[in-house]
Amino acid sequence: MLTARRRRAAAAAVVVAGSLLLASCGGSGSGSGDGKTLRLWHYEGPDSAMGVAWNEAIRVFEAQHPGVKVKFEEKGFEQIQKTAPMVLNSSDAPDVMEYNKGNATAGLLSKQGLLTDLTAEAAKRGWDKKIPAGVRTTSMYDTNGVMGSGTWYGVPDYGEYTMVFYNKDLFKKYGIAEPKTFDQLTAAMDQFVAKGVTPLADSGAEYMAQQYLYQLALSKADRAWVDSYELYKGRTDFHDAAWTYAATTFADWVKKGYLAKTATSAKAEDAGVSWIQGKAPILFSGSWWYGRFQTEAKFDWDTTLWPGSDLTLGSGGNLWVVPKGARNKQLAYDFIDITLSKEIQTLLGNKGGIPVAAAADTIADPKSKALIANFNTLTARDGLAFYPDWPVPGFYDTLVSETQRLLTGSEKPDAYLDHLQKAYDQGVPKR
Amino acid sequence: MKAPRDSYTLFLLPGALAFLAVVVVPFLMNTGLGFTDWQGVGSPHWSGLANYRQLAHDSEFWASFRHSLFMVVAMAVVPTALGLVLAAALTDYVGKHFGTRLASILRACFYLPQVLPVAVAGIVWSWILAPDDGTLNALLKAVGLGSWQQDWLGDPDLALYTVMGVLVWVQLGFPLVVFMAGLGRIDPQLYEAAELDGAGWWRRFAHITLPGIRPEIYVVLTWCTIAALKVFGAVYVLTKGGPGGATDVPSYFSFTTFFEKTQVGYGAAISTVLTVIILALALIGLKLQSRAEEA
Repeated sequence: MLTARRRRAAAAAVVVAGSLLLASCGGSGSGSGDGKTLRLWHYEGPDSAMGVAWNEAIRVFEAQHPGVKVKFEEKGFEQIQKTAPMVLNSSDAPDVMEYNKGNATAGLLSKQGLLTDLTAEAAKRGWDKKIPAGVRTTSMYDTNGVMGSGTWYGVPDYGEYTMVFYNKDLFKKYGIAEPKTFDQLTAAMDQFVAKGVTPLADSGAEYMAQQYLYQLALSKADRAWVDSYELYKGRTDFHDAAWTYAATTFADWVKKGYLAKTATSAKAEDAGVSWIQGKAPILFSGSWWYGRFQTEAKFDWDTTLWPGSDLTLGSGGNLWVVPKGARNKQLAYDFIDITLSKEIQTLLGNKGGIPVAAAADTIADPKSKALIANFNTLTARDGLAFYPDWPVPGFYDTLVSETQRLLTGSEKPDAYLDHLQKAYDQGVPKR
Repeated sequence: MKAPRDSYTLFLLPGALAFLAVVVVPFLMNTGLGFTDWQGVGSPHWSGLANYRQLAHDSEFWASFRHSLFMVVAMAVVPTALGLVLAAALTDYVGKHFGTRLASILRACFYLPQVLPVAVAGIVWSWILAPDDGTLNALLKAVGLGSWQQDWLGDPDLALYTVMGVLVWVQLGFPLVVFMAGLGRIDPQLYEAAELDGAGWWRRFAHITLPGIRPEIYVVLTWCTIAALKVFGAVYVLTKGGPGGATDVPSYFSFTTFFEKTQVGYGAAISTVLTVIILALALIGLKLQSRAEEA
């Protein structure tokens, strides 16, 4: 028989091990649910346009809700991206959180019933009027989790799009005219190559290379093409005119020296820095670089939309979502409403973001004004064509690795398109 | 009187239960998920052996597995061989002629990469190996070997060998330290007697050093082979499996399947296969080790 001491030791061991076992099977936290606390998660840096705007929104929210405390937890993008499904499945879910938009992210969560239907709130509070149609696409998901129609599951406060950033000083230094048309762009790139300068900043190990390629395809595409590819409203053929043009032109640009083969292993950061350092005169990327370039680029620069294309990469920004298990949903709706107010939207615009509902005349900075004006031009012509990796989960990695092969010349455009077709067809939802 | 075995049981209980909670239960859950088509949220649906059938025909997985064999060369075979020679040289030559202090300092230098977090080492190496302004290419140019400059991590024909090179650097210190500790067990009189009998360095290495530290060699080979099969951090930081999948390994493949493709069921099947392979290799290694100890 065990002695009393041994029994106590054994009991303690069982308790410790039992709690470890429980911990390994998933946490069981408790939300407040008292109407006195709003639990908020987001992953914007405190100095970014969005971070500044959300901080102000928290201040306004607390002023408007005396006795209610906002319990904010700063998360990393990757952290939320990788763990959100598990957290939302538990009782640890916050009341409102920022989440990545798209079929494989917000769409997947909505399909699994982990997000709250915001349709009634969007109509009641007028969010559906404030958010332009092209931006709204990422807010709504059907029963299969496919964006573009159905139920409101998320609310974006800002937009993003890609553009050509160019170093005016370098154009001046080499006596090359700033391009306004696609032909002028290629002519300018030829002149840079002739002077020993690789014109385009690029990164093969991350998104930038595939975005060049997708933009080339978009310049030969229309809305129906985008809807087929992104929203599965038709069959996507990677050997059609647009994709074939994109892959062959990209390979051709590598041969001509517009894109450096050595960019294969470069990260997006490397490409951005090479542009900031004045090594590459042109960079094609998203508005997320804008604020940083305003601070760090010590030369005269400007931007233009990709010449000769009505469509470009872009979408509404990340979404506010309300988890199904949120305890204080009314407070969450109030907070979202505040982030869409003119005051917060204008602040966001003045800090280098692209608000979806700002008063245009209150944006002071000329560069910010131009950024927002271009976005408005795009949304007015329904020009946001999303991103190439969205349609299929894991397609980002496929695009990175395949485009790297195209960049090094180890794969021909035809084989490249074959591989994309295979990965796309495997992952696309069967409807 | 109670047998001592019973008292030990009580002390082993917490550890055994913790092992159950953090290893056995998750492993069984993972194995179970391998038979589903779960996406990470919602309810898993039983799909039987579908994931394993898919795995058998998945060229990407087998390519990643082939790369694993290269990793075994980089993390087990080369460091063991090099570690043996270096350990013998430091003990038998440097220690004897320049003092044990210098040998210890050199040993610490070789071990340093083991202490460095792999994320830090990976970032530093990616700077060194950068194609345009990387130190390695700059150095080659400076010494007149400009034609040798390469896109070390961006060339699909070269990237795997480059990652292997970095891993040799990371791994070398471990066998070196273990072997030097093992060499400390060997009676110095054996070396003296062999030297008096006219045996050169190589004969002493082959007939005294090697047989003397056979158990350590088995431990190091087993340990490093397992480390090579589950290598992840270096690949993640240096290449993310690229360019064009040239450096993909099963653990990274499993990670992207889990988190990027949200095919949790399939990712679980990959992990299960990987665990079974590692377990089998570990058992073979332990068997060889105990045989060596008995010999």
